[in-house]
Amino acid sequence: MAYRILIVDDEKALQDMVTEILTHGGYETDSALSCAQAIKQFHTGNPHAVLLDVNLPDGDGFSLFGQFREIRDVPVLFLSARDGDADRLQGLGLGADDYITKPFLPQELLLRLRSVLRRVYREEPDTSRLGDVEIDWGKSTVRRNGEETALTAKEFTLLKKLWEARGNIATIDALCAALWDGPLVGYENTLMVHIRRLREKIEADPSRPKHLLTVRGLGYRLRREGAK
Amino acid sequence: MSLRSFFKGAMLVTAAAALVTFITLLGILAFIFYNFDGGRDWGVSMSKVSGALAWDGTEYAFTGEELLGDNRWAMLLDENGQVVWSLRKPADLPEQYTLTDVASFTRWYLNDYPVQCRIREDGLLVIGAPKGSVWKHDIAMDTQVLLQTPIWFMAFFLLTLGCVLLLAYWVVRRWFRQAQQVRDAARSDWINGVSHDIRTPLSMVMGYSAQMEEAEDLPAECRRQAGIIRAQSQVIRDLVNDLNLTMRLDCAMQPLRKESLQMEVFLRQTAADFLNGGMAEGFDFEMDLPKEPLPPTEGDPFLLRRAVNNLLTNCVRHNAPGSAICLGARAENNLLILWVEGGTAAGGLRTDFYQPLEQDGGAAHGTGLRLVEQIAAAHGGSANFFAGETVRCEICLPITDSGKRTGFSAFHRHS
Repeated sequence: MAYRILIVDDEKALQDMVTEILTHGGYETDSALSCAQAIKQFHTGNPHAVLLDVNLPDGDGFSLFGQFREIRDVPVLFLSARDGDADRLQGLGLGADDYITKPFLPQELLLRLRSVLRRVYREEPDTSRLGDVEIDWGKSTVRRNGEETALTAKEFTLLKKLWEARGNIATIDALCAALWDGPLVGYENTLMVHIRRLREKIEADPSRPKHLLTVRGLGYRLRREGAK
Repeated sequence: MSLRSFFKGAMLVTAAAALVTFITLLGILAFIFYNFDGGRDWGVSMSKVSGALAWDGTEYAFTGEELLGDNRWAMLLDENGQVVWSLRKPADLPEQYTLTDVASFTRWYLNDYPVQCRIREDGLLVIGAPKGSVWKHDIAMDTQVLLQTPIWFMAFFLLTLGCVLLLAYWVVRRWFRQAQQVRDAARSDWINGVSHDIRTPLSMVMGYSAQMEEAEDLPAECRRQAGIIRAQSQVIRDLVNDLNLTMRLDCAMQPLRKESLQMEVFLRQTAADFLNGGMAEGFDFEMDLPKEPLPPTEGDPFLLRRAVNNLLTNCVRHNAPGSAICLGARAENNLLILWVEGGTAAGGLRTDFYQPLEQDGGAAHGTGLRLVEQIAAAHGGSANFFAGETVRCEICLPITDSGKRTGFSAFHRHS
């Protein structure tokens, strides 16, 4: 099922471009040039998410956001040329799911939108594949070469956090925060122990890891080539 | 407002204040000198009254009643203090006076009557006025003090002048600031407006060029050119962002949202986000943090992140892949020093600080480095640039910590 996105922007040319980007990205779109049109489209189109400009000819995006929320709680991403801290904080403070400032790269827009939709509509699969390793998130196990191994609670949290980083670096502080609820100084060694044990479960050769890589001085990342 | 206008304003206020002071002093002195003339205002000339009183061999004859007017009285005391002649002398005054009485009323009052005295060969002539009609005051001054009067006067004058100048400085500075604020607000509005208006068309340039760059059905050369347009529009975006923030910091319009930061955590996250962005692909990145934990310090994470990002971006833009980039921090003499070191351009050199933009996309190193310096200054610190085999930029921040450890959570919430 393709997600339907409502694009609200008073600039027709920009709206066309965003429509093109989203269509290429596999989304269905509705568009509105004003607050009045947006409310109408919101009722008839039942969008899964809204991309909302702040400056509109017959009102402002912040007020329109409030009206959307009164009708239905759908994720809203502000897409605005107003880049001041006050505007960003106002938008996020109202409860928006993201605030993207113009100009933006198409890829950035798609990634942010996908991240919000994934979070809101919980489209995480029960199992994922990392090379020759199958991760079962429901059972908290990993299977390699037909052999199933259970993950401890800490290993599961660690793997989940690294997986959610989608190939990006997760700092040792962020990993400590996920494991122990805070950037606890002195826990790096304990973290290394958990990493080593996790490698023993997901790597063919834990001393030469192919998936769970160390980024010296910063943290770790999960290389997701071949991941599903 | 120029310095010349500032001095002109200061001179104007000073001159006005000096004129007011001068006129006031002149008025006071004129009043005193007009009314204080040895009792001229009493309206009676002692010498004339004395001349009008004469001894004719048997008694005193007085011919100057009109000189005394309606309400004055007079009496003559002999050498023993006995009244030997009087005219309209009040009934409550005695006929005999002692030396003490005489010594007292010659300086002050006689039974509250203000009196004037004149010594004659045959005694002391006393002329009195009604009670409460004249104020008398005896002035005596040390001669040394009297001789120093010009110095005291000059000192007082200088003190007054100093006060007036201080007041003038304060008033003019207020004017100056108000004028500056109005000008800054206008400049800020203008730059805000321009940067706002440029963002939407730039979105389209960036958006379409990025799509063309990815379009597999386009010739490779077109995709390469689209990639250049996309990269250059990103440079313009960075420039607009930097320009906006530079202006806000310049006009003190950027509020500092300080938090207590654990600098290792902050730097690791900033570096990870930078590397995750893919800009430093092919560079040899290294973190250099001390083994001992750094003291927590207060800082605005968004601004500091911007400063560090600018320096890292400079390293990537001005060095070939394969070069080393190092980000580190250390504590030294109550300062927390963040540094970025890279091949030949960690931060660029101070000599090209204000150089015009380059065609090769070096845009950010004009405003970018200025921004680094401004962000350091906004934190009460400084930015220093060193050029040797490698180029290095150090951001020195004073270590201040309120003890509230909010940096990590707040930073991660917004990052």
